[in-house]
Amino acid sequence: MQEPSTETERGKAGRRAFTMALHPSPPVLEIRGLTKTFPRRGKRPPVTAVDRVDLTLEAGEIVGLLGPNGAGKTTTIKCVLGLIRPTAGDIRVCGWDVRTHHHKAIEHASAVLEGARNVYWRMTPRENARFFAGLHGLDHRAHRSHIEELLERFGLTDRGDEPVINLSTGMKQKVAVVCALVKQTDLVFLDEPTLGLDIETSLELRGLLRELARKTRRTIVVSSHDMDVIQDVCERVVILKEGRVVADDRVDSLLALFRTRAYRMVLSDGLVGEVVERLARAVSGLSVTARGERTELEFELPAAERLYEVIDIIREGGAVIETITQKEPDLEEAFLRVINDTGSEGGAGA
Amino acid sequence: MKRWTVFKAVFVKNLIELRRYLFNLVTGLVTMYILFLLLFFGARAIGGAAVKVGDTLEGLVVGYLVWLFAIIAYQELAWSISTEAEIGTLEQLYLTPAGFGWVNGSFLVARFVTNLAVITLMLLAVLLTTGYRLNLDLASLLPLTVITILAPCGFGFLMGGLALVFKRIQNSFQILQFVFVVFLMVPVSEYVWARYLPLSLGNHLLRKVMVEGYRLWELPAGDLATAVGVGLAYLLLGVAAFGYCVNVARDRGLMGHY
Repeated sequence: MQEPSTETERGKAGRRAFTMALHPSPPVLEIRGLTKTFPRRGKRPPVTAVDRVDLTLEAGEIVGLLGPNGAGKTTTIKCVLGLIRPTAGDIRVCGWDVRTHHHKAIEHASAVLEGARNVYWRMTPRENARFFAGLHGLDHRAHRSHIEELLERFGLTDRGDEPVINLSTGMKQKVAVVCALVKQTDLVFLDEPTLGLDIETSLELRGLLRELARKTRRTIVVSSHDMDVIQDVCERVVILKEGRVVADDRVDSLLALFRTRAYRMVLSDGLVGEVVERLARAVSGLSVTARGERTELEFELPAAERLYEVIDIIREGGAVIETITQKEPDLEEAFLRVINDTGSEGGAGA
Repeated sequence: MKRWTVFKAVFVKNLIELRRYLFNLVTGLVTMYILFLLLFFGARAIGGAAVKVGDTLEGLVVGYLVWLFAIIAYQELAWSISTEAEIGTLEQLYLTPAGFGWVNGSFLVARFVTNLAVITLMLLAVLLTTGYRLNLDLASLLPLTVITILAPCGFGFLMGGLALVFKRIQNSFQILQFVFVVFLMVPVSEYVWARYLPLSLGNHLLRKVMVEGYRLWELPAGDLATAVGVGLAYLLLGVAAFGYCVNVARDRGLMGHY
């Protein structure tokens, strides 16, 4: 892996910096009130897949888009790319209205939508990369060094002239990502980029994405069910539920929110039922596990100072606290918490 | 410039795929070779000594080519869209600054050029095999063929658009195939309205060139202008229908479905 060194890329970065110095650039992506409703056959009511979504992404951000199945992630991405026509709302990519200036907007956006299915398996990685560059109006001869550099970065140089069909799942996935990156767009969508990959390849791809965002100041949106990928790669996370944004925060802020609340205690004795009942009233999500002589408690507090109240209840119950640890929440827990905390009407949960 | 780059990319991809699906290409070539042989020997058997073999044969060859190109024009785009949807690349083709219509138009032109090259080679191979000589005025025939297949290209865009919405529409090809034969057979000199049908006037002018020995510039200017106008009208209608279908597919979120 090396610094983007092609003249094209350096020139592009330079031009971008120069433009930004002259006039502040518009956000890379600006979504206002995006709504998409799909009609259904017969007299059944229409389905609202995306409901008044607002979102702004700046240059160089790497953002995770999370949500349960049917939350509206893919519909939102496809609306941005113009593949689905929104029912209402405005979408601008680098200042270009997707509805009225799709050709201009799409110059700044690329995507991997269905993983390895996005490329031609009968063609080689090099042929695919050249074709998708050409499809974006970039002559592959003028961008040869950039194409070769990407193939090199993604470890595809040696297999660059072999039909994609002969490559492993991980390599196919990498070819798809290369074909999105070869377009040199400001905004890149990666829908489930690590789906079906083994852990080693997934880790490698995550590293490549992090480095890419850092070095090229591209805005990358990663939609994935794999929380580890989002936690590992993204700085910011947007959580969708039933078509609405229910959380939009930095990953570390979201984790910190739950870190202050989640605790694990080990007691040297058992607890009588009455004490457990008092504890259940004082905390939320209480779980009590007997481990031989010891008892393990896990719970969350609405506020940190309530910990004293918990300690008092245990002391009055005659048990001795051996250890208290603040439980380290991962993004999966935070995600589930946000999803469960928000009712079916949505609303900010974090 | 950007559009030219997109066209080149589509053209090269078309060539690569022809090479990769070599078996399909070879069987297509063999089939075409056999069809041409049948055409040549059939013409001789039917025409015999009483018919001016040259006229009949040239008429048959060009008539067959027009029909072949018409079929290619209206079927291949729909096939291509169905296939791209199945393999998962259709949405990527939409993500081009040149526009989805341009990509598909480039595909049609690329297929026309490669098919023309392949068919010409086959025809030459058959001429060498049989010892026949054809008297073809290419300077007149080539532009007239292009004018004639403008309308089928319009149908190609229409069918491509329907394929975007309904995904599998191959059964309707057979109906259209017969309809096209009817268009080719309607006598334009007897019915004025037939001039406005797809293929009919173009085919009539092609026959004038081949059978009566006219050159392109000797044909009635009004007929030529009508043929161009009718061809362009059907092409534009097809492109408009394609655009409408693209929007329907986008409204219903069907672009990535198969």
